[in-house]
Amino acid sequence: MATPAPTTCLSSPRLAGRVAFLLFLALFNVVTVSAAEPSAVSSDAGARLYRQGILPNGDVLRGEREGGVALTGAAVACLNCHRRSGLGTTEGQIIIPPITGKYLFRSAAKNVKDLNLPHVAGYRTQRSPYSDATLARAIREGLDADGRSLNYLMPRFRIDDAAMASLIAYLRELTSAPVPGVTDDTLHFATIITPDADPVARRGMLDVMERFFIDKNEFQRGGARIMQSNSRAITYRVTRRWQLHVWELTGPPAEWERQLQAKLKAEPVFAVISGLGGKTWEPVHRFCEAAALPCLFPNIDLPVDAEQDFYPVYFSRGVLLEAQLIAHDLLGRVSTAQPARVIQVYRANDIGVAAARALQENPGLRGMKVETRVLPAGGAAADVSAALRDLHPHDELVLWLRPADLAALPARLPPIAHVLASGIMANLENAPLSAEWRTVTRLAYPFDPPDQRAVRMNYPLGWFKVRRIPVVAERVQSDTYLACGIVAETLNEMLDSFVRDYLIERIEVMLSHRLITGYYPRQGLAPGQRFASKGGYLMRFAGPQGIKLIADGEWTVP
Amino acid sequence: MIRHWPFTAALLWLASAGVAGVADSDDPHAHHHPAPVAAVKITTVNYKLPRVALVRDDGTKVKFPDEIDDGRPVVLNFIYTTCTAICPITSSIFQQFQEKLGAARTGVHLVSISIDPEQDTPARLRDYAQRFAAGLGWNHYTGTAEGSLALQNAFDVYRGDKMRHDPVTLVRAAPGKPWLRIDGFTTADDLLRRYRELLAAK
Repeated sequence: MATPAPTTCLSSPRLAGRVAFLLFLALFNVVTVSAAEPSAVSSDAGARLYRQGILPNGDVLRGEREGGVALTGAAVACLNCHRRSGLGTTEGQIIIPPITGKYLFRSAAKNVKDLNLPHVAGYRTQRSPYSDATLARAIREGLDADGRSLNYLMPRFRIDDAAMASLIAYLRELTSAPVPGVTDDTLHFATIITPDADPVARRGMLDVMERFFIDKNEFQRGGARIMQSNSRAITYRVTRRWQLHVWELTGPPAEWERQLQAKLKAEPVFAVISGLGGKTWEPVHRFCEAAALPCLFPNIDLPVDAEQDFYPVYFSRGVLLEAQLIAHDLLGRVSTAQPARVIQVYRANDIGVAAARALQENPGLRGMKVETRVLPAGGAAADVSAALRDLHPHDELVLWLRPADLAALPARLPPIAHVLASGIMANLENAPLSAEWRTVTRLAYPFDPPDQRAVRMNYPLGWFKVRRIPVVAERVQSDTYLACGIVAETLNEMLDSFVRDYLIERIEVMLSHRLITGYYPRQGLAPGQRFASKGGYLMRFAGPQGIKLIADGEWTVP
Repeated sequence: MIRHWPFTAALLWLASAGVAGVADSDDPHAHHHPAPVAAVKITTVNYKLPRVALVRDDGTKVKFPDEIDDGRPVVLNFIYTTCTAICPITSSIFQQFQEKLGAARTGVHLVSISIDPEQDTPARLRDYAQRFAAGLGWNHYTGTAEGSLALQNAFDVYRGDKMRHDPVTLVRAAPGKPWLRIDGFTTADDLLRRYRELLAAK
């Protein structure tokens, strides 16, 4: 089987035409399967083995290491180490090599002219190419193409000939398709804006993104220059331009997925950066996962909590994290011997609905009586007072309300000692609470407090100032700037390996190294982790006026 | 000739040649001589341990090092629950080690400390422990990011972030005694042998 064309090799017209044809095939979901393969060989079966550790006959894969450490099934699936992309990674001192067909079966490099694949961490250029037979030996006996023993970490697998053929068929296909949104001179990105997104925040986000893209493209003065080998037409460290496509959705959420599919078809992009949502992001999340499209760090306060999904990645759980922080506080403070009545107030058709449900369903609160008071969608300010009529001194009040509703809280404080409010929905320290309400209210605050984040915020705020970007929605703009920076830095580190799965895998590895983390004290991801910041504070107001907050306790990861 | 090579290409070439050169000596990635087990490095070290608050997998707040100073011998490692490459092996080794201890298992404290404490809540640690059939005497610990970092630094296992960690196993016969440090992948049998030797020499 021929080694697939390198995805970044586009400098001859003939090759560019070939790649364009492949791109055409990919766009129209034409699955190319070699006609020479016997029918029993199935790359789908190979994929199941690779990803889940399940053999074609349904048995679990078994891998053993010297010294008797045997693992089975998903715990020993190839994906664990070689990753979904097959491009490998590093773990500590251990280098896990790429095992896609084009790295396994390529000829040993004898000189620099033979370096015709993008460099990844475990790419050993001088190893002899594998054949199907030596690859099967590597997988079963742990010997590489040159007969050298593989790393201890590589198990010796029990795989019969038929299953082996399927696995090898999968490895030949893995990460071999041309990547949409990557051309010889341009990287295409999209950002997604839902119709209910705040218009001021929308402008603020786009200001940052447009400027970031201009900066990125202007950095190479005199235009993008392609560094190119004169012998093999291979390009290295190509300085591609970044192009932004703004995907504005219209109509009800039920129509968004179809719109996104059409937009992706019309404007193929490599990844989605940032974005802005309102009451629901679920259709966008679903689309990203189904389209295998990385959707990186959108500005939304109600993400979809589905860490088994691979492609959508978020800064935090947003109001769902706030619900966990509030539950944690209630559990630590309220005696279960005297179950409290927890009264949640939220407006219908807002993100507080989901947050209140998350709090109500928190298994720790089963001993408490949790009531909900729903204000009608689009209702009047008077609704708020009406919802708070019969409060008792031991009641715990939880407010999932926006500033307009908080401003309408009754002037006279009900006879309660504890109020917990969503900081995200209340506009954080700018929550319009009266002096009296401030004495009893604590805000769920899944960010670093203003005084602690001030130094870190100097960088994005300075960047905005120098570029004369008005700060109209500070958190949205800071997060947007972070999202762009994370993608830019990760792509630099990836050299020319433009592969969507690899982009996410590299973000997982590099995110915790970033020092510019904006509103968050730290960020980190890993396989199976899709929320970068995991905790938060409960904050009190320092005085009857002003925006100064005081942390009530430590940073908590509920 | 060289001036015709693109600079970056030459750099990549040098870099990859460098990796291959290392592979001939001690790069674990490819050995010329098949080794029965991965090479391990054994050292004996006295660590000065900081006082750190941790949370045990059962939710109990504990103080380190008091938690490991109850007189039992300690076998300790660092893990994180979403780790896919190294930790499943080191945890399997602990699992087999504990099985091989037999009736003596309750007298040995196996300690696995999370290096991703914000992700690894006590509930996630319990799930993880269950995956490796952790028996009585094997506890997993989490805490604050700062606390975990302080312990990683104290044991000289911090390598910049969780995904750069190395397999390290630490064994101590009794409070006040030095630690036997095993760098690299040990095996349950090897660990048991070293553990018994250490206890015999106490």
